[in-house]
Amino acid sequence: MAGDWQPDFEQLVDEHRSMVFSLAWRMTGDRGLAEEIAQDVFLELDRDLRKMESPLHACHWLRRVTMSRSADALRRRRVRSMDMWVEIDEQHGAAEERRSSPLGTRVEAMLATLPEAQRAALILRYQEDLTPDEIAATLDAPLATVKSQLQRGLKLLRAKAATQLKEYVRGA
Amino acid sequence: MDDLEPMEELERDLRTAMRRQPAPPGLKRVVMERRWQARAGQRRRMVWFERLAASLVLAGVAGGAVLWRNIAERRQGEEAKQQVFIALRITNRALEQMRLQLQERDSH
Repeated sequence: MAGDWQPDFEQLVDEHRSMVFSLAWRMTGDRGLAEEIAQDVFLELDRDLRKMESPLHACHWLRRVTMSRSADALRRRRVRSMDMWVEIDEQHGAAEERRSSPLGTRVEAMLATLPEAQRAALILRYQEDLTPDEIAATLDAPLATVKSQLQRGLKLLRAKAATQLKEYVRGA
Repeated sequence: MDDLEPMEELERDLRTAMRRQPAPPGLKRVVMERRWQARAGQRRRMVWFERLAASLVLAGVAGGAVLWRNIAERRQGEEAKQQVFIALRITNRALEQMRLQLQERDSH
């Protein structure tokens, strides 16, 4: 029963560190910054641990706070999308090559050039596999706005892909 | 070609490209260390707060005692002053009576 659930901090870190880190990394495009954000988010979780009602609630809380802290960090650092791509490419090129296809790497790099709100919606849609309703709840945004951001983001990505990736040219 | 097909292809690629990445190996250790440090800091702050509270209580008690003593001394002083006034009034009355008696004797 959810009411009997006792949150175990260490277990929550184990279960969700990959999610929190990936969200922060894709939002900021900076691995070091993402690691700092992930640490801060988990320490914030520790402070609010008693408020967690269920594993699902903890997971939703972590997603919401990670997205919010990443947006705060982006506003502070005013990272430009092209800089992010360069940073990802320079610092983590080798790791990227290992973990995904070259096409995937380029798609992800293009994602980093999207406006922040569209990127956030697409990350939650395709990394976390959330529905638009769940994305709206996570980002605390109206459902219509989220749907529009998803559509615009995808269109923009498609347009970028058509000009940058030959794999998509045939469909342009 | 239909517009839907490349869009689906893009979505598929997005899903593949955006799988969760493993967190840096040291992340959990750093989080646990920072958590421990934060709690130690909290405990230290609590000790300081307790010390401060105890000091304030002691200072309050000492101040109260000094104030109480001052009030008691002032009250004793007031009482002594009133007693002196009463004695002076009695002496004055006695002297006045003696003066009246002497005056009456002189007139006879």
